[in-house]
Amino acid sequence: MKMKKVLALGLVAMMSAAAFAGCGSGSDGSTASEGGSNGTATADGSNGQVYYLNFKPEADEAWQEIAKQYTEETGVPVTVITAASGTYEETLSSEIIKDEAPTLFQVNGPVGLANWKDYCYDLKDTSLYNELTSDSYALYDGDAVAGIAYVIESYGLIVNTKLLEQAGYTVDDIASFDDLKKVAEDITARKDELGFAAFTSAGMDSSSDWRFKTHLANLPIYFEYQDKGIDSTDAIEGTYLDNYKAIWDLYINNATCAPADLAGKTGDDAENEFASGEAVFFQNGSWEYANLTDKGMTDDELAMIPIYIGAGDEAKQGLCTGTENYWCVNSEASEEDIQATIDFLTWMVTSEAGTNMLSEQIGVIPFKQAADTTNLFVLNDRAYTEAGKTPVSWNFTTMPSEEWKNGVGSALTAYAAGTGSWDDVVSAFVDGWATEYAAANN
Amino acid sequence: MKAKENIARIIVFIILCLLAIFWIYPVFMILINSLKGDTFISTSTVFQLPNAESFIGLENYTNALASKGFAAAFGYSLVITLSADVLILVCTSMCAWYITRVHGILSNVCYALFVFSMVVPFQMLMFTLSSTADRLDLDTPFNICIIYLGFGAGLAVFMFTGFMKSIPLEIEEAAMIDGCNPIQTFFQIVLPILKPTLISVAILETMWLWNDYLLPYLVLDRKKYMTIPILIQYFRGSYGHVEMGPMMACIMMTVLPIIILYICLQKYIIKGVIAGAVKG
Amino acid sequence: MEKAIRKYWPIFVLPTLAAFCVGFIYPFVQGLYLSFCKFTTIKKATFNGLDNYVYALHDGEFWHSFWFTALFTVVSTVLINVIAFAIALALTNKIKGSNFFRTVFFMPNLIGGIVLGYIWQILLNCVLSLLEKPLLALNATYGFIGLTILMCWQQIGYMMIIYIAGLQSIPDDYIEAAKIDGATTGQILFRIKIPNVMPSITICTFLTITNGFKLFDQNLALTGGEPAHASEMLALNIYNTFYSRSGPQWKGYGQAKAVIFCIMVIIISMIQLKFTKSKEVQQ
Repeated sequence: MKMKKVLALGLVAMMSAAAFAGCGSGSDGSTASEGGSNGTATADGSNGQVYYLNFKPEADEAWQEIAKQYTEETGVPVTVITAASGTYEETLSSEIIKDEAPTLFQVNGPVGLANWKDYCYDLKDTSLYNELTSDSYALYDGDAVAGIAYVIESYGLIVNTKLLEQAGYTVDDIASFDDLKKVAEDITARKDELGFAAFTSAGMDSSSDWRFKTHLANLPIYFEYQDKGIDSTDAIEGTYLDNYKAIWDLYINNATCAPADLAGKTGDDAENEFASGEAVFFQNGSWEYANLTDKGMTDDELAMIPIYIGAGDEAKQGLCTGTENYWCVNSEASEEDIQATIDFLTWMVTSEAGTNMLSEQIGVIPFKQAADTTNLFVLNDRAYTEAGKTPVSWNFTTMPSEEWKNGVGSALTAYAAGTGSWDDVVSAFVDGWATEYAAANN
Repeated sequence: MKAKENIARIIVFIILCLLAIFWIYPVFMILINSLKGDTFISTSTVFQLPNAESFIGLENYTNALASKGFAAAFGYSLVITLSADVLILVCTSMCAWYITRVHGILSNVCYALFVFSMVVPFQMLMFTLSSTADRLDLDTPFNICIIYLGFGAGLAVFMFTGFMKSIPLEIEEAAMIDGCNPIQTFFQIVLPILKPTLISVAILETMWLWNDYLLPYLVLDRKKYMTIPILIQYFRGSYGHVEMGPMMACIMMTVLPIIILYICLQKYIIKGVIAGAVKG
Repeated sequence: MEKAIRKYWPIFVLPTLAAFCVGFIYPFVQGLYLSFCKFTTIKKATFNGLDNYVYALHDGEFWHSFWFTALFTVVSTVLINVIAFAIALALTNKIKGSNFFRTVFFMPNLIGGIVLGYIWQILLNCVLSLLEKPLLALNATYGFIGLTILMCWQQIGYMMIIYIAGLQSIPDDYIEAAKIDGATTGQILFRIKIPNVMPSITICTFLTITNGFKLFDQNLALTGGEPAHASEMLALNIYNTFYSRSGPQWKGYGQAKAVIFCIMVIIISMIQLKFTKSKEVQQ
């Protein structure tokens, strides 16, 4: 009988311990996690380690290599994990709760920062911050430097100039949406004779749909912001959505494949089509340069031109240039890991190997010791700016959420396949913005 | 009368044959496409048999084994399944024996909780379970079996207790009188009697463990370990493209061992399913 | 003997119980608590009362996924059970090669949901594109049909096995006696076979209902919820609310949805329990 009582008591204690820990796990949770990361740090015989959750699948290989090189030089272990496209937030939110959480992650700008600011280490007094060429590349949370932009990128329409010449045009013939439309439709009309199409497939697979639901959608937002003189909004009006429709129609009706097949086309499909000369135009960015040259394309057959949508002053429109890539150091990581991460980043932006990798693979890096770039598209952007054109800024960092982008993407796909109407796109764009903005800021 | 019945039989037989084709075809389709080059797998050609141009032999397989981490994923899946299986069988059968033989608060509360846990969907626990597992460092394929023992205990205990109630007490009592302590009694007397149920539970648990996706995906240390379902899910999004060839090869390499195992152990598997269903 | 065993509880019960506390009780209680909190990680949870539940119950997508799940569960339960029972009848009727058929039909059960989802995604998308119909990711109706076909393909074998066992346990005398009394095949089926396999029918029905209700892997792999969450079922909706959204409020919403989901599943199980109990009384 006594035994039974003891047992019952023990069980009750166990259950209530579980319940109690569930309610107030604050203190014991954090000590446990510190113990964990310290343990691993010392086990490796070094003072810290770096775990980078990379956002850019296209640069995965380059990151793996540079991480290996850094580890060889310094002995500090660097792990790079790349989240599948479209799943960065999902991966980050499930990884960040772990003991060995990423020490380095990225946010896409103010909207992303709002969600992750509790985890951003203040980089103000670090060597990394001092390397920045301008304060405007830092992302502030109050006075604290929460994130640091590591790359400035440009996107637009990549042109295969050789094919364009075969069709009887040059890059200079295209200076407005009307020109683009004329050229594209002419190429489509002579598709069989020429043997290539105007546009690569506007694939709406998750590996490629960001080119349209995010990057292309930036243009109508940019022009609306310009008109109103604002740089973010809680409700978009969609004044330039007709232009968005016009350019989307142009893309899908003059492409290498039928509009209905776009749903399953991937980023790789488009890249291969372009590299193998099946299409003249390919909407993508400066990060794509390395992939195209790897596939055997040369500078004399490539150029990047602005995406004209028939809005604003087209004679003055430049490429879309900006950043949505801010490095943040996880403030919850151990001191050693934070230091190791900052050291790694500083090395990335000061050493020859690091800066070369960044500028070759991705584009311009806003750091003092940056290697000069050979990236043709970046040079294109410079030329446009020098010729007095205004770059289109990246406003998709103000889009209310990933969910909004997905909504627009689904509607675009359905519209292309003929199962949805353009009204659905408008509604996802305008109404979706309002609901998502409210949901994100409540 | 007889003739009519024969015709009916033939019709039924033909329908069953058609259904069987419908059942086998998807796997067959993956098999033929896994032998084709990546560029030859498209919506229009997927139903064609590989021809001289598209046939690339086992290249997709070697590719998947060499560069896509299939071998490692297979190994981890195997380790997880085996370790969790053994642990669940031993621990829960012991626990179930105690619950059926000893009456008291501990037994009753445990039993009620175990039965309750069978019902709760994984989504309820996914976040807290993965953070608990992480905090206790149970995030490798070598100790994730403890998590599986905890989360999967319900069904196993339930099935064991159901069966144990029908074992006569006398045998065990005789053993105890002969001087066996409870541990000896359990392992020498009870466990052999339990063999058919052990097999049933093992089969049901194996089917779950080998194919489980979300639990290992959330719990395992993503930097280092992938199981087969995670690997296959990974093919879709990562690196910005879908490599159909190696993906189909991976699917084949996942499915084939299971089918072979199934054909060998068919008798036990079907018995296990029936036992599980009657109890569940 | 009971006394002797009782002392050994640390050996017999403790390992399982400890793991159970780690793997179930603690996360469950914590999950329950977190459903009343706003949190991104457990360390940073602030209590916010019933807000999460209010949001979850007002979320249109959640209700859409609920009705989608409910409809799917009903359709798949009926189809799977009817077809499985028909096949079981045929196979117990001394058909040639019945072992072979049984083997083939049961096979898909051993293949995991993710793998199955991709196999069928490839197959169905090819069929749809040959018919010049929109792909699975574009049309929720095709997504629904696709999921139903996939579930039938996977589960019919399992249920068939249970029905075969049920049918084989009917004593031959019953059927022989009925035949001698001049009963037709239809009468034998409805008067003798079906009433005698009622327990199997109950089991299979509830197995298919819970499987349908909790479906996750197949949904994720086959349609991923596309287009725009239209083919998203409850489990996937919860997962997406939880992990695909960023911002501290979403985790709480997701956890609250999970609790609601859990309650729904418990209710279904209680109904099942009642059914099984009342059947046992009858027999």
